[in-house]
Amino acid sequence: MTPCTPQERMATVIAREVRDGETVAVGTLAPVPASGVLLAHFTHAPRARVVLLNHPDYWPFRQGSKEFYDFAQRGGFDLFFLSGGQIDRHGNLNLIAVGDVERPRVRLPGGAGSAMLYYLARRVIVFRTEHSPRIFVERVDHVASPGSSPPEVARPGGPWKVVTPLCVFRFDRERKALVVESVHPGVTREELARRTGFALDDVGSVEVIPEPTSGELHLLRTRVREAVAKTYPQFAETAFTR
Amino acid sequence: MAVPGHVGSDYERLRPEFKVIPNPYDPAQPVMIVPAIRCDAALIHALAATPDGTLLLDHMEDDALLAQASRVVIASAERIVTRDELGRAGEGVVLEGIHVTAVVELPRGAHPTFVRGLYAVDAAHLSEYVVAARDDEAFRDYLARYVHGPKDHAAYLALLT
Repeated sequence: MTPCTPQERMATVIAREVRDGETVAVGTLAPVPASGVLLAHFTHAPRARVVLLNHPDYWPFRQGSKEFYDFAQRGGFDLFFLSGGQIDRHGNLNLIAVGDVERPRVRLPGGAGSAMLYYLARRVIVFRTEHSPRIFVERVDHVASPGSSPPEVARPGGPWKVVTPLCVFRFDRERKALVVESVHPGVTREELARRTGFALDDVGSVEVIPEPTSGELHLLRTRVREAVAKTYPQFAETAFTR
Repeated sequence: MAVPGHVGSDYERLRPEFKVIPNPYDPAQPVMIVPAIRCDAALIHALAATPDGTLLLDHMEDDALLAQASRVVIASAERIVTRDELGRAGEGVVLEGIHVTAVVELPRGAHPTFVRGLYAVDAAHLSEYVVAARDDEAFRDYLARYVHGPKDHAAYLALLT
């Protein structure tokens, strides 16, 4: 295994999902997606329109987050990123609370725009740097953003992939469920099963994610790190191999 | 007002004031409507302000929207300037004074958060706050030291290391 950090690995996976020419947006508290999108922008996606919340160089709006949300509601984003305090096998995200809402065990930050963006952004990649049974659960306690909707609900977009330090899940739209698509090098089926709170489909034949190339790692540790530091200085200090 | 998405989420259960109705323009399609938020008061911090309450605000924040949603708007500003100076005071969006109830000059008024281009987040102070907020006694001490103790904002700033 190439020596690199989990964040570098995840950012590389995310970069490979960005397509040239798309309009790609990254919201709040999302340094790993921001790194991945910039890596793509600096390599195979120079014509992508990149929107990074709170970044001085990648924020093409003048009227606060309202203008951003209005743009998203028009279907302006091809790719967006969300996360969750709990994520379940059906792609449901919980950003509300763990346990009873009135007396929560953990009060999560709230759904904010997630219950709109999960419907309106054409492809949503869910990311989480912790892959554990407390995060990846059979059923979330509260659904801030449902993974799927009945056909009568207007929903041009939805979950596409879930990226973690262990694997990539693909969202199967017919089964309305997460399916393991690939694993990072060295991750065994036993480890993945042990660290996931819902039963996995057969993962015997899943692909191994290609290692980040030396070119990808070099860019991440130089241009991407410098750009990300403008929004996430602490992340830039700790997430990249020096 | 109507909000896209949201239908089928637990906001239907948790927020009874959010209603799902047939979309009047396409009745087969459910749509969620939510009541507009009407705040009693908004406290916002501006890059600069004129004496009549016209504000220069950070264009990446939603302060102008917040002000328009509130009955009373109390603004603090890094400095009070003339109307001519406001246009030259820096990057930002202008909110006319008709939306603002009262304005006060308060340099470093956003501490421990930031004002873009002027000063950064005080991460050490925020960490101190987070630790204090974990238990009641520590939080009472925090409030006594930083909120109730200092006689004004200058005295508060003088406490900071």
